[in-house]
Amino acid sequence: MESTPTPSRPNLSTPVPPTPKSAALRRSLRLTSSASRSPAPATIAAADSLDTPRSTRKTKRSLAMTTDTPVTKPSAFAPITPESKRARRSMPSSRTPKRRVYYKKVVYDDSEFEVGDDVYVKRREGAESDDDDPEMEVCRVCFRENRTVMIECDDCLGGFHLKCLKPPLRKIPEGDWICGFCEARKLGKEVEFPKPPNGRKLRRTAKEKLLSSDLWAARIESLWREPDGTYWLKCRWYIIPEETAIGRQPHNLKRELYRTNDYSQIEMESVIRHCYVLSPDAYKEANDQGDDVFYCEYEYDVHWHNFKRVTNIDDGNENDKGVETDEDWKIPKDSDIDEDSESEELTRLSHSGQRKHESAANLHKGRIFGLEKIGIKRIPEHARFHKQTDLEKAKAMLLLATLPKSLPCRTREMEEITAFVKGAIAGDHCLGRCLYIHGVPGTGKTMCVLSAMRNLKSEVDAGTLRPYTFVEINGLKVASPENIYKVIYEALSGHRVGWKKALHLLNERFSNGSGVHKDERRPCVLLIDELDLLLTRNQSVLYNIFHWPTEPHSKLVIIGIANTMDLPEKLLPRISSRMGIQRLCFGPYTYQQLQEIISSRLKGLDAFEEQAVEFASRKVAAMSGDARRALEICRRAAEIVDYQLKQSLLSGRSSSSIDNSFGGKQLVGMIDIEDAIHEVFQAPHIQMMKTSSKLAKIFLVAMVHQLYRSGLSETTFEKLFTTVVSLCSSNGEVSPGWDTLMKVGCKLGESRIILCEEATKHRLQKLQLNFPSDDVAFALKNCSELPWLTKYL
Amino acid sequence: MAAALTLLRSRLCDPTYIHAPFKSSKQSNYSKLKELVSGTISDSCNNSALLLGPRGSGKVAIVDLVLEDLKAENPDSISVVRLNGLLHSDDTCALKEIARQLCLEHQLSFSKMASSDDNSQFMIDMLRECGLAHRSLIFVLVEFDLFVQGKQRLLYCLIDAMQTVTSQAVVIGVSCREDADQLLEKRVRSRFSHTKLLFAPPSREDMKSLVEHILYLPKNAGLPSEYITKFNAHVQNILNDKRFKQILDSLLCVDGTIGNLVQYLFRVVSSINLESGLLSLENFKNAQISCERQPTIETLQDASILELYILVCMNRLESKEQNSYNFNSIMKEYKSIHDAYRTSDNYGDTVCLRAFEHLLERELISYVDHRGRYLPVEFRPVELLISSHELYLGLKSNSSCPAILQKLLDHESFK
Repeated sequence: MESTPTPSRPNLSTPVPPTPKSAALRRSLRLTSSASRSPAPATIAAADSLDTPRSTRKTKRSLAMTTDTPVTKPSAFAPITPESKRARRSMPSSRTPKRRVYYKKVVYDDSEFEVGDDVYVKRREGAESDDDDPEMEVCRVCFRENRTVMIECDDCLGGFHLKCLKPPLRKIPEGDWICGFCEARKLGKEVEFPKPPNGRKLRRTAKEKLLSSDLWAARIESLWREPDGTYWLKCRWYIIPEETAIGRQPHNLKRELYRTNDYSQIEMESVIRHCYVLSPDAYKEANDQGDDVFYCEYEYDVHWHNFKRVTNIDDGNENDKGVETDEDWKIPKDSDIDEDSESEELTRLSHSGQRKHESAANLHKGRIFGLEKIGIKRIPEHARFHKQTDLEKAKAMLLLATLPKSLPCRTREMEEITAFVKGAIAGDHCLGRCLYIHGVPGTGKTMCVLSAMRNLKSEVDAGTLRPYTFVEINGLKVASPENIYKVIYEALSGHRVGWKKALHLLNERFSNGSGVHKDERRPCVLLIDELDLLLTRNQSVLYNIFHWPTEPHSKLVIIGIANTMDLPEKLLPRISSRMGIQRLCFGPYTYQQLQEIISSRLKGLDAFEEQAVEFASRKVAAMSGDARRALEICRRAAEIVDYQLKQSLLSGRSSSSIDNSFGGKQLVGMIDIEDAIHEVFQAPHIQMMKTSSKLAKIFLVAMVHQLYRSGLSETTFEKLFTTVVSLCSSNGEVSPGWDTLMKVGCKLGESRIILCEEATKHRLQKLQLNFPSDDVAFALKNCSELPWLTKYL
Repeated sequence: MAAALTLLRSRLCDPTYIHAPFKSSKQSNYSKLKELVSGTISDSCNNSALLLGPRGSGKVAIVDLVLEDLKAENPDSISVVRLNGLLHSDDTCALKEIARQLCLEHQLSFSKMASSDDNSQFMIDMLRECGLAHRSLIFVLVEFDLFVQGKQRLLYCLIDAMQTVTSQAVVIGVSCREDADQLLEKRVRSRFSHTKLLFAPPSREDMKSLVEHILYLPKNAGLPSEYITKFNAHVQNILNDKRFKQILDSLLCVDGTIGNLVQYLFRVVSSINLESGLLSLENFKNAQISCERQPTIETLQDASILELYILVCMNRLESKEQNSYNFNSIMKEYKSIHDAYRTSDNYGDTVCLRAFEHLLERELISYVDHRGRYLPVEFRPVELLISSHELYLGLKSNSSCPAILQKLLDHESFK
């Protein structure tokens, strides 16, 4: 559990006067919070590196202290006064007064602030004295700071020296650790924390102040210098769980913060220093990185008081921007932001009063409107329990949605794609080229291309490759084939126009390179998924698309993906000559490959028997070689086992003796895979025939009988009726009425066990079995209800 | 008394009540579907399932039941989008409907003007946002088989949007075609998880307990207790009767679905004796007879003599292997019968034409094809839609049928 050892640091700060408590209601939770144990922290910090108390980041910082870099010297944080504005830009640029100048990075008070950093911010009413900023946490028992290893209580976040504990600990224990005080308090005892010795007050670190809402944390969104020379920043606030409408929830972690959508502009001087708000994954890794690490998984909407998970999408975008614009941000950026805030206000207006069409959420213009309303008022408990057992982890890993870290078995194809794209864009004049990729569904075509592009992207970031634009389009997702022009143009230029206009503009752009900014004259890689869907009657769309690369100024590279192998041959010769030159085939996976794929996903998880995986992959490889299918089967099998396990646990709770015997059965075996395969590949018609009503069975048998006698697959209802009546009368059944039998026939027709014409045709209605007669024979042979049916089959 | 009747009727019309007994059993479709959907909610993953079964087997009822229960368990973390293949099989229209329902559910303003691209983008955005907010979107596609027409753009968009980690959605397809998943295009099928739940008609024992579940009056419904005990005793008597079992058997051998049983019971309850307020075996018998009516023969019972003549003439023509005939050739046959047997039923051509048109309207006979639409009625070729066996039964049951007609028909059939 979370036994975050706090590395000790040199005592640099001096004792300070007591901090006046602010008027915040839930301020000192560390004194009041007791019983509610958060379940989640358990797994988060249960990572492996518990034995290494020194964190990477902290080590860096302390290193910085020992060497001569003044960046993080605590004294640098000392009184921030307006006079001490030693801020300077990190990058050289022309000074333009009378305008706001935007920066990406500012060195202020000897510390570097960058866009995207998280910082502590002073409360403006700031009764808090800022001159004390203990970098170091003191031990709760001896109230001294020294370099020995400290352990953090998971409940009250208090730090303790290992040797100050009773009984003293030798090393950091694995798993959760709760200090003796909290433990005692949980048992209902009155506990008094040891009083600090005279002359020393219990100082609070910035973390504690933040968590008791005496400080704020914020994320820097942009930095600029006002014309008058002061430095400002736009920040996005973080809040602690107590400040939300719903208050602290039992599953909240101690170090949890919420990101809000509340922005404001503050002056640089109110910033104190860095803190580190990390996403769940990063937090998991950073399990002992010191005191200023916080956990943020959710975003809190201050208007609607609801929560949302935070994705890493924003980060991705930011990285993009970072690559592109290393220069000063232009003024228009600012107006952009203004627009944003305006639109927010607009939304509120439109929600409160008149509803305008422009603000409808499903319109393109209204995209920004309203979506922030979606959120959950209360984070559900179950969402915070992380995957515990191997089986659950395996289930999550086998989801189609989870992207694997690596793509096994497709290295050759990946290399080919990478080489193709590189070859196409690396040349100085970038000749347009086309690549056609084909293969049956579920063989990883799109995924391969995307991951190849991702790799290339990182190369671009590293600077070894020229930047290019990448546009991804799915042929099935555009409303009509012509709309693809619209989508391409929007992706390239950001403007929305009608498809005819878009075609015109694209033609112009690619044929003579007009209408394009200088910086946009970079090669463009166009990925068209489900290419065959763009086929129109005169094939003009495909022709246009594949004509562009041949133009001298196009700088266009097209990768087309489809299922059919011979798509180029099906097209007009003038298109196939343009696209069909370079091809790449994704063959169906063999069973070894499938096995490798599955086991690579399940690496480190002890959930599947080896034969089970092999069985599933062999089965799928024999049928289709579709990796999705293989993953689905394994996931389904895991689900079945998990369900059984949970059921047995439920029943086992009443009789605990069974518990043990079932507790051991964790692995997915052959039988479960077989069940899952049966579920996936079963043909429901046999089952349906077996469970159909008595008359329906007679009906089917009569059809088979008729088929055997006449040899014709098609029959009319009149003939069938006579057969049914004769069958019934010779076997002692009550023969049904004409219309009753008709009803039965229509029911069978509805479920497509037989094919029939509409019932108004009456006696002339044509009937035909939808399945081979052997299936009927198989289904109805040993029917207990009507044993006599067997002799007609 | 009236209260009891209302209670019974409201039960019969309420699918959730009827399907409630299936909640308890572990192997039922209810628990399987619930496990699937709740697993999706708790693990925040995506899933898809297909419910197959004949009409009236309670597929939609089970879905409703599951969704209702899950909504009660996890308030405001589920939003449901319902689409019907009969209404929304067109992709554009379906996307618009999805956007509309999502807007309604989340109190967003909705615009009718949005293009289908906008709507599909909106759907993907919503999937992401809802996934981030731990809300599950559940798409229920009723008449799933009708969504597979065309390019299946909707299904592809839906199922492909679910291939990301951030979204949290379930697609439940409901269809009575057992080959519904075979109709999917290969790329859609590859993305679709092949979980199929089959809805089989319940066994005899289940049926019996279902009847008990529906018909027994509860103790605490505010009805007089002696009436309740009397009523329940009566019902129990009937249920244990051998004749009742026979009735139930013959009913279920035609169609064993729950829907059929419920319809039957509704008829039983409707014909309840209003004075005593008790169900009798007589009610059950009558209801069975009303269930098994033979509409064609009943139509023949009400047909006029001239119409019967025409039908018999057509039958004779057919047995003479004259494949194509129209009104005029029928009239010739009619005249020849008349000449041969000197019957008293001699009508003019216009009267016969009226009778002929009446038969056309009742769909006892029909035109062979739609080709000669502009020809007069007399010259268009027609065909007989009922078989000679039915005609024979109909003639026998018709009280005013002249003996000569029966003789003619008998003559034909024994030839």
